[in-house]
Amino acid sequence: MGGFLLRKAGAALIVVFVSSVVVFAGVRALPGDPAIALGGENRDPAVVQAIRHAYGLDQPLPVQYVKWIGRALRGDLGLDARQLPVAHTIVSRIPITLELAILAVLIGSLIGILAGIVAAVRRGKMADHAATTSALVGLSLPHFWLGLMMIVLFAVDLHWLPASGYVSFHAHPLANLEHMLMPAVVLGTGLSAVLMRQTRSAMLTSMSADYVRTARAKGLAEWSVVGKHALRNSLITVTTVIGLQLGALISGAVITEQIFVIPGFGRLTLEAINQRDYTLLQGVVLVAATGYVVVNLLVDVVYSVLNPRIRVSGSTTT
Amino acid sequence: MKVSLGRFATFSLVVLCVAAAGAAVAAAHTSRSAADIRNGGTLTIGLAEEPDALDPTLARTFVGRIVFLSMCEKLYDLDSHLNIVPQLATALPQVSADKLTYTIKLRKGVKFNDGTAFNAAAVKQTLERDLTLKGSVRASEISPIKTVDAPNATTVVLHLSSPYSPLTAQLADRAGMILSPKALNSGGTFAQSPVCVGPFMFKDRVAGDHITVVKSPYYYNKAKVHLASIVYKIMTDPSSRTQALRAGDIQVEDRIQSTDVPTLQKDKSVSVPKAVTIGYQGLTINIGNKNGLLKPYSNVGTDIAKSQFIRSAFDAALDRTTINKVVFGGLNQPDCYPIAPVSPWYKPTTKGLACNLHANVDLAKKLVKASGISSPTVSLMLGGTDPVNARLGQVIQSMEAAVGIKVSVSPTEFTTALNRADAGNFDAFAVGWSGRVDPDGNIYGFVATKGTLNDSGYTDSKLDYILNGARKSISTKSRDTLYRAAMQIIHRQRPLIYLYHPVNYYGVSKKVAGVQIYGDGLIRAAFAGYTK
Repeated sequence: MGGFLLRKAGAALIVVFVSSVVVFAGVRALPGDPAIALGGENRDPAVVQAIRHAYGLDQPLPVQYVKWIGRALRGDLGLDARQLPVAHTIVSRIPITLELAILAVLIGSLIGILAGIVAAVRRGKMADHAATTSALVGLSLPHFWLGLMMIVLFAVDLHWLPASGYVSFHAHPLANLEHMLMPAVVLGTGLSAVLMRQTRSAMLTSMSADYVRTARAKGLAEWSVVGKHALRNSLITVTTVIGLQLGALISGAVITEQIFVIPGFGRLTLEAINQRDYTLLQGVVLVAATGYVVVNLLVDVVYSVLNPRIRVSGSTTT
Repeated sequence: MKVSLGRFATFSLVVLCVAAAGAAVAAAHTSRSAADIRNGGTLTIGLAEEPDALDPTLARTFVGRIVFLSMCEKLYDLDSHLNIVPQLATALPQVSADKLTYTIKLRKGVKFNDGTAFNAAAVKQTLERDLTLKGSVRASEISPIKTVDAPNATTVVLHLSSPYSPLTAQLADRAGMILSPKALNSGGTFAQSPVCVGPFMFKDRVAGDHITVVKSPYYYNKAKVHLASIVYKIMTDPSSRTQALRAGDIQVEDRIQSTDVPTLQKDKSVSVPKAVTIGYQGLTINIGNKNGLLKPYSNVGTDIAKSQFIRSAFDAALDRTTINKVVFGGLNQPDCYPIAPVSPWYKPTTKGLACNLHANVDLAKKLVKASGISSPTVSLMLGGTDPVNARLGQVIQSMEAAVGIKVSVSPTEFTTALNRADAGNFDAFAVGWSGRVDPDGNIYGFVATKGTLNDSGYTDSKLDYILNGARKSISTKSRDTLYRAAMQIIHRQRPLIYLYHPVNYYGVSKKVAGVQIYGDGLIRAAFAGYTK
């Protein structure tokens, strides 16, 4: 087990190193001189040179890389164009996007699974058609359009919810939920549509299975047949889909965060690109890449614990 | 290329009407007496972009100036007519006969927002920091300052290496914001906890989300301050900003996108003040930028570079009024000068100069013929790839085609376009300038041989002489004359073709009074408040 872990950790470190080089080079491949972008209107050569010097852009690329990665290893990702520490900014943004993604999963699961059950139980009837059509609409709606429509209805016309912004859960739990409800619904809509179709399909398969027929033959109530027997088995597939969709939700949160002015990780990435803030952009992409590597490493470890054959085959192949 | 007197008179009338309307709007937001405003409350302003460093020495963004207005007062400020008036100084500077010494008297009894005293030593430390700090954006703005003396607590003396009349205007912007020596000497990063003199003091900043300032207990005129705090929300999506204003989440919206203006004008809960800004949008013509910005200039040899007639024809073919209608829905202010009608410098410096707001196709065709170039071509680089820029390019293309000038349009990502402009890799470049209060800031950098923004590569010893003379002259009257002479040369040679002055629209909740917007386009909310 120890050798397996060391090999995996070593491979992960190599991936992180390669990622850091790709991030560093990729950011510099963006068109336009960042010093000119940061200088704004003031393109006085003296000012541009001062900016270049302040951000170390006047040094050779290998020197810039070594300095950056050296500081990054100590947890210092530098100061961004606002003179704020990048590491602190990133750490403060990640929980916001995670909260949004988790709320979206909860809302999407609640709506999607319930609609899927109803559609399966009422197969071919009005409820099924309504749920299937709603799912199609839900999948087709662009987030930005749905978001703006919800803002106009619930914030501008009805004044039920705030149009935008973010309040931390620690500061004010209720205000936090008020601010996050619409974005979570927008983000969860697509997921609910996917889950509805998956649940319906899995439920239909389960409900024609022998064990469900047996349960009915035993005289169990219909709710018990559906809830305890058919649904429980169907949820295995649905849970897998939710897991796969979580990553997509986090990356899909960029547009939702932009519309609802939520200071999440996605919006931070967008800002860094728009403002050509190299320090911030490098930090954001490095943290995202490292995050993916760490999660993959953890998954490998969990798989190896659950299924020892994986680490055995891993050891024999090397 | 002359316009009739009648047309010029009509144009002047339009300008006067717009200026009067602008003044009326400003008055509408300032006319409520303090008695109508209650104390307390938080004002939330939705900003269109995120400010960069909250350090006046390093700050570069336009929106940063909006935030600074509430927490960093300057030696000088602007009044609603864009005249320079004292703020932390008690009067305009006394200038010596040789124009090399500026003596500035300071207010007494003023405190920074950390409770320490504001005095001449603090002014000296700030100005010296502006001149010497690595990465300082202010250094070039006040570079003629050689040394700063503080003979007593309320007197600052600036010694200049050469006469520089725009200095007072520079001290009415970020270079004139005085920073607390205690904060500067603390060893921390000033931008993370800025301390100046101001009606509000910095409370917190969540990157990408908001900046909060709260009412200062140290401010020398705190009776005028009604709000308990101001929150600057970063809302880069214009639709979200507008909906947030309509929903009441924010009370002031920075720069409404043109498509939302009619919607908000119909909304009874908000007012939509506008400001004809001091900036301009124009076309920079590459005449001599062969080797790059500030490298030795020599004619690049393109049709538009080598013939003054082609440049004049290009200008005559433009119908500025149509451009404004078709591209911008009539929301901007067509014009032919780098100085805007809202500026007190406008009338005296443009008096008697021709401005064709409508195309003069016959004249343009004659000029093309006179150039001797049978089918001139011009490549027009657009500073953006958005639909508005594309429309602008297409409209110019069709207008020039009507007089026989073939224009090829090249939409280019903005930063890349700036790189290409500095390198001299363009024929004509559609680009704007946010504008400065002093005419020098709108002219010198772009057309003087040593101008740091002279992408045109234009060099003219007579123009240099005039512009340097205007920098040295203190008398407003003589500067008026010199800038008018400079404009005559610019209009004849056309290194730049000016198209219009942007008009910004803002959204303000009717529950709020006292929000002021001048021609510099900045939102002034420090003395605003909620109505009773």
